[in-house]
Amino acid sequence: MPSKTSPGIYVAVLILAVIFFYPLWVLIIIAFVPTKYTFGVMYPIQLPLIITLQNVINSFREVDLVGPMIRSLEVAFIVGLLALGLGVPAGYGIAKLTARISNKLIAFLFIINMMPGLVIAIPISLYFYSLHLTNTVLGVALAQELVVLPLTVFIIMGGFRSLPRDLENQARVDGASLGSTFVRVLIPLIRVPILVAFILSWMTSWDEFTYAFIVAPIVPTHSTFPVTLYNYVSRNLPLQSATFALIATVPIIIMVAVFQKYLKGQYLSGGLVG
Amino acid sequence: MEVQEEPSIRDTFKMSRKYLIYILMAAPAIAYVIGLSIFPAITVIYDSFHVNGQLSLRNYASLPGYGLYPSIVNTLIVSVGALIIQVVLALAIAMVMVKPFKGSKIFSTIVIIPFGVSTIVSAFAFSLIFQNVGGFANGIIVALGFKPVTWFSSTLSDLGVVMFSDFWKNTPLVALILYGGLSSVSPSLYESASMDGAGPLSRFVHITLPNIAPLLSIALLVRGVSEFNIFALPLVLIGYHPLILNTLIYENYSTLATRPISYAAATVLLAIIMVYSILVLRIGGAKQYAQ
Repeated sequence: MPSKTSPGIYVAVLILAVIFFYPLWVLIIIAFVPTKYTFGVMYPIQLPLIITLQNVINSFREVDLVGPMIRSLEVAFIVGLLALGLGVPAGYGIAKLTARISNKLIAFLFIINMMPGLVIAIPISLYFYSLHLTNTVLGVALAQELVVLPLTVFIIMGGFRSLPRDLENQARVDGASLGSTFVRVLIPLIRVPILVAFILSWMTSWDEFTYAFIVAPIVPTHSTFPVTLYNYVSRNLPLQSATFALIATVPIIIMVAVFQKYLKGQYLSGGLVG
Repeated sequence: MEVQEEPSIRDTFKMSRKYLIYILMAAPAIAYVIGLSIFPAITVIYDSFHVNGQLSLRNYASLPGYGLYPSIVNTLIVSVGALIIQVVLALAIAMVMVKPFKGSKIFSTIVIIPFGVSTIVSAFAFSLIFQNVGGFANGIIVALGFKPVTWFSSTLSDLGVVMFSDFWKNTPLVALILYGGLSSVSPSLYESASMDGAGPLSRFVHITLPNIAPLLSIALLVRGVSEFNIFALPLVLIGYHPLILNTLIYENYSTLATRPISYAAATVLLAIIMVYSILVLRIGGAKQYAQ
C-alpha cells in the first residue's frame, strides 16, 4: 500500500521542476521576448510578458538553421541504423557464447566506452582525412558510431539473454534455420530493446559534439547542429543561437515525452547492473 | 571405444562450428570498435613518445610548461564537484519519483528532458544565466535584494560555474539509475521502520543508502568517466582559462606546431581514466557486468 502523499513532497517537486526547467525557460525568453527587454536592459526580464516572433524570423533570415539540422538528421539516422546493423547480430552472438568469453568481450566493450572522446577523435580525423571522410555526413556518423555501439550491444544482448532458452530450441526443432529463427522468432521478441537502442543512439548522435567538432570542424556548409550552434555562440549571436537551440531541442522533448517509459537506468548504465 | 569417440569428436566439431557462427556475428561490431578506438589510441600513445621519429620523452618533459599540473587539478576539482552535485540532486529526484503524487508524469518528463539536450545548448543557456554583469542569475539575486555576484572572478569560481552547469544534462541519467534501485525497496520496509521509531535520517541511512549503494557505484563509474571528458561545456563557459585537461589537449591540437604536446596530454588523460575505472571497479566490486 502506498502511504499518503505528504504536502512536503509538492514543495520538493516544485523546487526541482523549476531548477530543471529554468535553463530552457531562459532560452524561450531570449528567443521570444523583444530584445529591448532582454539584452537592452541590465537584468533581463524573467517572464515572457511581451512576446514577438521577430527574433525567430530574423534568425532564419540571417543564419543557416535548416542545413545543419538536415545534416544532423541524416547523421543521427545513419548512426542509429548502423548501430542496429552491427549491434543486433553482435548482441545475439555475445549472448550465445560461453560466459567466460562473453564476459571478456563485454569488459572490452566497456573499456572502449570509457575512452576519452577527444583522444580518439583526433587520430580518427587524421585517418578520415586520407579517406576523404572529413567534413562529410558519413564521416561524422562513422565516428559517432563508436560512441553508441557498445551501449547498443549491451542493450540488445540483455534483450536476448532475457528470452527463454527453450523458445529458440523449439523453433529449431520445428525445422527453422538459424537465420529464419533469428529473423522470424527472435527479432520480434526483442523489439523493445531494439527500439530503446535506436532511440538512444539517435539522441546521442543528435547531441554529440566532440567527434562532430573534430571530424567536421566549423565549415558552415558541412557541420552538424551542435557544431554550428557552437559557431554561432562563439560569434556572439545570442538571438540566433537561442532560436537554433530551441528548435533543435524540440525533437528531443517530443522523444523524451513519447519514449519516457523506455528510458530506464538499466538501459543507460552501459552494461553494468546492480 | 571407437564407437563412443566418434560422436564426441563430431559433437566438439559441431559445438565449435556453432560457436564460430556466434563469434562471426559479433566480429563486425568488435572489429569496428577496435579499428576506430584501439588503433587510434595506440597511434596517439606512440606519437606522444616520439619526436622527429625518435623515441623521446621531450613531449612529456615540456607538458608542465603548457599548464599540465593545474589542468589536472582543475579537471579533478570539476569532476568531483560535479559528481557530488549530480548525486545529491539525482537522489532528491529519485526519492520524489518513487512517491505517488499528482502530476508525477509531468514532473518526470520535465526532469528527464535535459538528458536529451545537447551539451552545447546547455552550455549556451548557462552562459546566459551566469554573467558577471547582468544575466539571469544576477537578475534574480538583485530582485531578491542581494548584491550581484561576480561569477567569473577566480579560478575556483570559474570552475564552480562549470561544475554547477554540468548538473542539467547529466543529473537525469544518475536519477534514472538510482530510481531503479529505490523503486525496488518495498514501502512496507519504511513503514515498519518508522513504527519502530526510526526517524527520516535513520531510515535514509539504514534503508535507502544500502539499497542504492551498488547502483550508486555504477552511476559514479559511468558519470565519473564522462566527467573527465567534459569538453564542450568548459569550452563555451570559460574557454581556455582556467585550463582543464580536455581544453589543454584541444588548444594544442589546433596549432600544428604543438600537436605532439596534445598527444602527450591525451595520453595522460587516458591514463587517468584507466586508473579511475580500475579503482571504481575494484572498490565497487563490479562483478556487475550484465548477467
